[in-house]
Amino acid sequence: MTASVTLPRAATQPLVSRRSARVLRGAAGVLLLLVAWQLSVPLVGLSPYFYPAPSDVVASFADLIRKGILPVYFADSMGRYFAGLAAGALLGVVFGVAIGLNRTVAVTLSPLLKFLFAIVEVAWIPIFVVWFGYGLKTILLALIYVVFFPVLYNTLLGVRTAPQILVNALRSLGATRWQVLRYAILPSALPGIITGLRVGAGFAFRGLVFAEIVAAKSGIGYLIFEGTQTQQTARTIVGMIVMGLTWLAIDLCYLRPLERATIQRWGLTVDAEQRT
Amino acid sequence: MSPKGRQPLAPPTWLGTLPFLAILVLWWLLPRVMQYPSYMLPPISAIVDFAWESIRDGSLLKNTAASLARLFIGFAIGMALAVPLGLAIALNRYVADMFRPVLSFLQAIAGIAWVPLTIIWFGIGNGSVIFVIANTIFFASLYNTVIGVQSIPTSLYRAVRSHGGSGFALLTNLILPGALVQLLLGVRTSMAYGWRALVASEMIAGSSGLGYMTMEAVQWQRTDVIILGMIVIGLIWMVMDRTLFTAIERRTVMRWGLLQR
Repeated sequence: MTASVTLPRAATQPLVSRRSARVLRGAAGVLLLLVAWQLSVPLVGLSPYFYPAPSDVVASFADLIRKGILPVYFADSMGRYFAGLAAGALLGVVFGVAIGLNRTVAVTLSPLLKFLFAIVEVAWIPIFVVWFGYGLKTILLALIYVVFFPVLYNTLLGVRTAPQILVNALRSLGATRWQVLRYAILPSALPGIITGLRVGAGFAFRGLVFAEIVAAKSGIGYLIFEGTQTQQTARTIVGMIVMGLTWLAIDLCYLRPLERATIQRWGLTVDAEQRT
Repeated sequence: MSPKGRQPLAPPTWLGTLPFLAILVLWWLLPRVMQYPSYMLPPISAIVDFAWESIRDGSLLKNTAASLARLFIGFAIGMALAVPLGLAIALNRYVADMFRPVLSFLQAIAGIAWVPLTIIWFGIGNGSVIFVIANTIFFASLYNTVIGVQSIPTSLYRAVRSHGGSGFALLTNLILPGALVQLLLGVRTSMAYGWRALVASEMIAGSSGLGYMTMEAVQWQRTDVIILGMIVIGLIWMVMDRTLFTAIERRTVMRWGLLQR
């Protein structure tokens, strides 16, 4: 699964072969699924509108690429996703630090935050649509909302658990408030921030697809929805496959390395592995 | 800066009500200082009126009950399928290797992305919504079951084996309880996904329920209905979180000393 894992020296040889065996078995599983799907089409005997075959999906994929629809939709989705993720994470960190540093603020705001957190972003979409119409604003707000809370709570936890001894040491050496924040509090909050980001990224990805189904005229979610509306079910499945592969790629290329770079460095790996 | 205020008195909890009061005051003030069409943000009284009305005619209760029923049916179906299959996959390394990529892929698309397909297959209504919830819960729990079984230490297997336990005894005494911990730890997260999937799929493919109620109101610009729906959705999740999941965690996970806190 992981591309850049560093193997212990002594165990290199057998581990590699075991890994390649796993990859082969995994590929066999994927192939088996595709073959079963293709073979089941004549058995089920429904029209491609109800049950398209893999070959229909491949043809539809080629068609979407040739017409230039898929690249544009994909770029639109990713632009929205990462913009929302970045904005939501930034807000979450800023509020998390601000709330974490002051207990009065924390006690004052936490019931409201709990209540807002409980109103899932999905439930905000109707009112966003009334306020901002169908379009980018609604989608971005929903994404920011869904990323904000996990990042906020995990940042808060990180700030609270920053070792007081470090803070005191820095202060007694004459550090400014900013320096205390920069050198003691933020580094110890970092693993929490990353955990929050990872949780938020997962929820935001589904949130993106839903927001695009409801409020977009482009994007992968729109492709998934529009496919069935226009009797091109193969397009819906292309959209679903692109969505799944995109999430796996995001997880593998960004989230896991990020988690490795931060959380594992602090020796929290076992915990992190169990949680995911 | 000075050490004097190291542990001041804990701030009183009533402070937590201030933001709610501030929002209510702002909400009350806003139409008096700004001009906007009243459908954008109806007065608080309109929402209270509508809440009272929908409680009295039973429609709010009916929608809430419909949503919760779907959630629990979907949850039950998803779990009932996921646990046996998860055990089967986890107990055989070859099968596990074979299924893992397919399953992580299907998990990545689990949930709301299936709604357009389910509308074709089952039409608008219960079938579509329950399928989406069951699908969401299934993949989350399947993964948790597999991880749960695989995280049982080998020494425990050896211990059970050396005491003559095998087959069914191994399953009931070690594997099921061992996997249960991870499964229960995962319930909160899978329900968080399931709850979103419920609301979202009701919005697109429902014919009743809280999600349907809120989305349907957009067409008629009934913002009072939308806001009431949001409040109820938030309150139900808070109640479920407080009563169900916290209780499950306390009863099981903490009893086995697995929650580091």
